[in-house]
Amino acid sequence: MIRKNDDEQKSIPTSKVERSTQFVKTGFKIGGNYVKHYSKKLFNSNISRDELNEDNAADIYSSLSKLKGSALKVAQMLSMDKNILPKAYVNQFSQSQYNAPPLSGPLIVQTFRKLHGKTPEKIFDKFDLRSSNAASIGQVHQAELDGKKLAVKIQYPGVGDSISSDLKLVKPFAFRLIGMSEKELDVYMKEVEERLLEETDYELEVRRSVEISKACAHLENIVFPTYYPELSSKRTITMDWIEGLHLKEYLETNPSQEERNVIGQALWDFYNFQQHELRAVHADPHPGNFIITHDGKLGIIDFGCIKELPDDFYYPFFSLTSEGFFNDKPKTLQAFRELEMIHEKDSPAEVEFYYDMYRQMIGLFAKPYSSDRFDFSGTEFFEHIYNYGEMIAKMPEFKQARGVKHFIYINRTNFGLYNILHELKATVRTDTYVPQVNLEI
Amino acid sequence: MEIKDQLQQSYIEHILHHGEQPKTVFLFARDNGITEEEFYGYFGSFESIDIRIWKGLMTDAISEVRSQEVWTEYSSREKALSLFYGFMELLKSKRSFITFSLRNAKAKIGLSNLFEGMKQEFELFSADVIQEGLESGELTDRPFFAAKYKDALWIQLGFVINFWLKDTSAGFDKTDEAIEKGVNVTYNLFERSPIDELFEYGKFLAKNAGIKMPF
Repeated sequence: MIRKNDDEQKSIPTSKVERSTQFVKTGFKIGGNYVKHYSKKLFNSNISRDELNEDNAADIYSSLSKLKGSALKVAQMLSMDKNILPKAYVNQFSQSQYNAPPLSGPLIVQTFRKLHGKTPEKIFDKFDLRSSNAASIGQVHQAELDGKKLAVKIQYPGVGDSISSDLKLVKPFAFRLIGMSEKELDVYMKEVEERLLEETDYELEVRRSVEISKACAHLENIVFPTYYPELSSKRTITMDWIEGLHLKEYLETNPSQEERNVIGQALWDFYNFQQHELRAVHADPHPGNFIITHDGKLGIIDFGCIKELPDDFYYPFFSLTSEGFFNDKPKTLQAFRELEMIHEKDSPAEVEFYYDMYRQMIGLFAKPYSSDRFDFSGTEFFEHIYNYGEMIAKMPEFKQARGVKHFIYINRTNFGLYNILHELKATVRTDTYVPQVNLEI
Repeated sequence: MEIKDQLQQSYIEHILHHGEQPKTVFLFARDNGITEEEFYGYFGSFESIDIRIWKGLMTDAISEVRSQEVWTEYSSREKALSLFYGFMELLKSKRSFITFSLRNAKAKIGLSNLFEGMKQEFELFSADVIQEGLESGELTDRPFFAAKYKDALWIQLGFVINFWLKDTSAGFDKTDEAIEKGVNVTYNLFERSPIDELFEYGKFLAKNAGIKMPF
């Protein structure tokens, strides 16, 4: 055992050095971009920071995409937080959801031999060695067995091992982008690390996929692939191939308002049923995880990231979203305290300040719940969220992170959902699955 | 089984069970029901059994990967990768013997002698695969250097074996990563690169711009 640790310690730094150089390079490039920006500004004072942000985002993205694995995952997570990151970053990061350099054919054959004891051509009737899609920590291949078209997801080797060291590198870097200090974010990074490590466990993913797709089977206009545990392993997952288009491609076909509403409603029901009935939610609402089938249904193809909502988070948080709750200030403060958004040692003035700010935030979050129907097409609501995020990012009071760790994934999930619904320009009925808190308070 | 193969098998088993070579050729021959003289008819020494084993591993790996259905669809790069994976997979199944054999050979005959037969097989294979790549345009044909490509692959193989010996990851996953990265790097060097462009540009200038090259 002692020897083993020794060897591990010897081998990790090499890759770490390699990875850090990536970031150092990016650092230089960004420095260069600032120089470029200010020298241009000398001649033309009208140049906006948007261009600068865009240059930076492109460089950051290109270095992140070289890192693959968990760093790519972090890029994806950042790309979800449109409300936190400037728009230019978002566009570049969104690309990472689609492209990553592929594994070689022989390595895939090797992976199968190791995990299944046979080459893919012996397991399936047909197996396409060229991958058809990147899946953030792996890639997807098309296969065929007994006349059925299958999707086979294969994980990059060594992803699990490198997550922790990757995150350590990404941490100071990523949070410089958001402008928070890294120390206070340790609790949150821990949470992220836990979720990411879960994501590398494909056996767990298959179990959860089967469970959740069963529990959600009754929801309308949603299709789940069938999973094949006997053809899956800790680094491979076999499921049905779902024919259809990714969100972006789907929107390019100019679907009608009714069609978009159907998809939007399906999304809304899927997420809110999980949050409020199952208390465990598919916490990765990035567009690459959805397929819109040719008969206009929503296909859900990735259950890597599941966030469970414990009672001590669920009740205080969602009671805040219920109608008229804010009229009762003591109760609201009580909930904020339970969620650690207001701390014991805050001065009365601080309590007032945070009380006010968080009321605004929750108010925005809960807006879709406030009526039985919500139109996500309007930009006004999103400008509000965006401006609120920008404002908060500039406030020194928010340099120190607040709130329990569960917020990261719940915010990401819900604001991610709102963003997709906005892109769909859908109007949905929001009273289908509502927070269940009335009895509890 | 041929007597030669039988002797080879019994030699491996002796090493696996005792952690050392048979004490003398005489004892080994007697245990296998032949005379010492007959043994020398097959092998010159114990080490020549080792040499034959290594060569055999390489030929087995080559014929195994060539028999895969996808083989014909593979590019030159993928064929090389495939052999690396196939060969290392064979080594894994004999790890105890392999580590012994390497240690023993280092002390007695030197690794280059141990790998003599294996290297021949490997070079035939890589020359073949590289030629294919040169013909399809996947690899760049550089005068003098193209003939050295196979040596680069050989060095890479040595590196991978070394890495694997020290690898403690479950299922030797890290070795797979080392192969994927290492062979790709080597192949990237074989492909057309900015250096080629630079070289040609230099040649062009030397011929046409009246610039005297310093060499």
